[in-house]
Amino acid sequence: MTMTDSSRTVALNPMANVPHLRRPGFPQTLRAEWIKFWTVRSTFWSTAMLFVLGAGLTTLVCALAAKDIASGAAGESPGSFVTWGMMFAQITAIVLGALAVTSEYGTGMIKATLAATPRRGRVLAAKALVLTSTLFVAGTVTAFAGYFAGNWFLENEGVGLALSDDGVLRALFGSGLYLAGLGLFAAAVGLLVRHTAAALSTVLALVFVVGNMAFLLPGEWGEWVAKLMPGNAGSAIATPVSFNPLLLDPLPGFAVFAAEVAAVLLVAYGTFRRRDA
Amino acid sequence: MIVARDLTKTFGTTTAVDGISFTVEPGRVTGFLGPNGAGKSTTMRMILGLDRPTAGSVTVNGHRYQDSPAPLREVGALLEARALHPGRSARDHLRWLAVSNGIPTARVDEVLHLVGLDAVAGKRVGKFSLGMGQRLGIAVALLGDPPVVVLDEPVNGLDPEGIRWVRTLARDLAAEGRTVFISSHLMSEMALTADHLVVVGRGRILADCSMSEFIADHASSYVRVQSPQLGEVAGLLRRHGLDVAVHDEELRVQGLDAAAIGELVGKTGLLLHELTLVRSSLEDAFMTLTADSVEYSASTAAPTPAGIAR
Repeated sequence: MTMTDSSRTVALNPMANVPHLRRPGFPQTLRAEWIKFWTVRSTFWSTAMLFVLGAGLTTLVCALAAKDIASGAAGESPGSFVTWGMMFAQITAIVLGALAVTSEYGTGMIKATLAATPRRGRVLAAKALVLTSTLFVAGTVTAFAGYFAGNWFLENEGVGLALSDDGVLRALFGSGLYLAGLGLFAAAVGLLVRHTAAALSTVLALVFVVGNMAFLLPGEWGEWVAKLMPGNAGSAIATPVSFNPLLLDPLPGFAVFAAEVAAVLLVAYGTFRRRDA
Repeated sequence: MIVARDLTKTFGTTTAVDGISFTVEPGRVTGFLGPNGAGKSTTMRMILGLDRPTAGSVTVNGHRYQDSPAPLREVGALLEARALHPGRSARDHLRWLAVSNGIPTARVDEVLHLVGLDAVAGKRVGKFSLGMGQRLGIAVALLGDPPVVVLDEPVNGLDPEGIRWVRTLARDLAAEGRTVFISSHLMSEMALTADHLVVVGRGRILADCSMSEFIADHASSYVRVQSPQLGEVAGLLRRHGLDVAVHDEELRVQGLDAAAIGELVGKTGLLLHELTLVRSSLEDAFMTLTADSVEYSASTAAPTPAGIAR
C-alpha cells in the first residue's frame, strides 16, 4: 500500500500504534477489574453495610446479652457472640459477589469486558481475585472491630475472651475467609444464571433457608446432608464456638465448603468459556 | 483487513448468518448494509470473538480476534453503545479499558476530547443522552488508536451535526490507511460515507461491490421527456431503439442521455417542454434489492377485518 502523508498516524502493526506500550498480561486485567469494581457506588455501599452490620450487630448483641451470658441465663458460650453480626454481613458479601458478575450481564458491559480481554479464564480469575481479596480484608477487619467492641461489654461482665483464647483468632480471620468464599460462590452462581435477582435468591435461599431446613431431615443420612450444605459447612470457621453443635469442625467444614465453591466455579467457568457473550 | 470465509451462525433453528464471505480492505470505508435482522450485528460480534461461529471463520489482520495480545490496540469497536454500567463515569469506563490493554491513561483524556465529551467526563454515563452514549462508544473504539475500526450503527441517536461528524471521522480514519467497517440499515447514510458496500439480507450477501458499481447496477436512471407531441416523440425514440415508457403526461426514456435525446428530437422539429435526467434514489435501489429478505415487513395491503370494513 502506498503510504500517504495522512497515513503516518497508523502503521498496520498493532504493537506500534501507541508508543511505549507493553504487552498486557494478567496484571493489566487484574488492575482493570479492580478499577471496574471500585468505580461503581454499589461496591462502596455494600462494603460499608458489611462493616456496619457485621461490627455493629456484634457490638449490639454483646452489649445486650453480656449480663445473661455472665449469669448463665443465655445458656450459650460467649464465644458464640463475638462474631454474631457476621451472620448478617454474609448477606452483603453475597450481594457484592453476585453483582460483580450479574451487573455486567444486566448492562451489556460483558461485551466490552470480553472485547477488551478475550481470554475468559483470565477475566474470571481477575474478577475472583479482586472480589475475594476485598471480602477477605473487609470481613477480617469487620470481625476484629466487632470483637474489640463487643468483647469490651463481655469483659465488663467478666466473661470476655482474649485474642489468644481457643478459636478466637481463627474465627476472626475465618470470618474474612468465609465471606470471601460466599462472595465467590455467589459470583459463580451469577455467572451461571446471568441475572441478579435469580443469583441472589438462589444463593440466599441455599445458604440461609435450605441449609437450616436440612437439619429437619430424618436420620443419619439427613444429618449429613445438613452438615454438608455450603452455609453449614463453611460457617463454623467464622465463630469461636458455634450455636449449632451439629456442624462439622471448623477446618474440615471449611474444606468441604471450599470444595463446593470450587466445583460450582469450575462449572461456571466451563459454561462461560463456551457461551456467546 | 477483515476476512470472513463461509461465516455461519445459527441460533437453534434460526440461521442468522448463512455462510457469508467478504473482505474488508484497509484505506477505505466499507459499508455493511442490510435491513434489521439481516445478520449484521451477529457478524460484527463474531468479528470480535464475542459469538463463536457455527461454521467458517473470520480473521482480523490474519488471525482470530481472540488471538490478539492487545485487541483494543488492533481493533476498535463500537458495539451496542449501551454496553456500559450506568453508574460509572465516562472517564472511569475508558480508564479500565485502557488499563486492560496497556494503553497509557493519558490517551483517555485525548479520546474524550476527540469526541467532545471533556465537559462530562466525570458524569455517570446513566445520565447520558443517546447521542452522548454513542460518542462515548466511539471514544472506546478509538482508545487504542487501532488500525481496524468496526462501528455498528454509529449514527443511531445522533443529531444531524453528530451524523456529519461520524461521517467525516470515518472518512478521515480510512484516509489514514485504516480499515473502516460500518454497519447501517440506512442506505442514504452509507451513500455519503462508504466507498465499498457489502449488502446482506437474511444472513446472505446480496451485493459486494464499490459504491459506484452499486449505483450503476441498481439505481436505475431515466430521462423524463415532456412534449405537446408526446405520441410522435415516443414513436421517434422507439424507432431509434430506445426503451420508452409512458407515464401520465410524460415519457421515461432509457438508453441515451438527455443531450442526445434532445438532439435527436430537435432534428425532426418536434417540440420538447422538458428533458430531465432522473435518478432513482439509492434508498429505492436498496429497498428493491432487499425486498425479499426483510424479516418483518409491514404489509401495506392488510386485510380489513370484516365488520369494521365500512
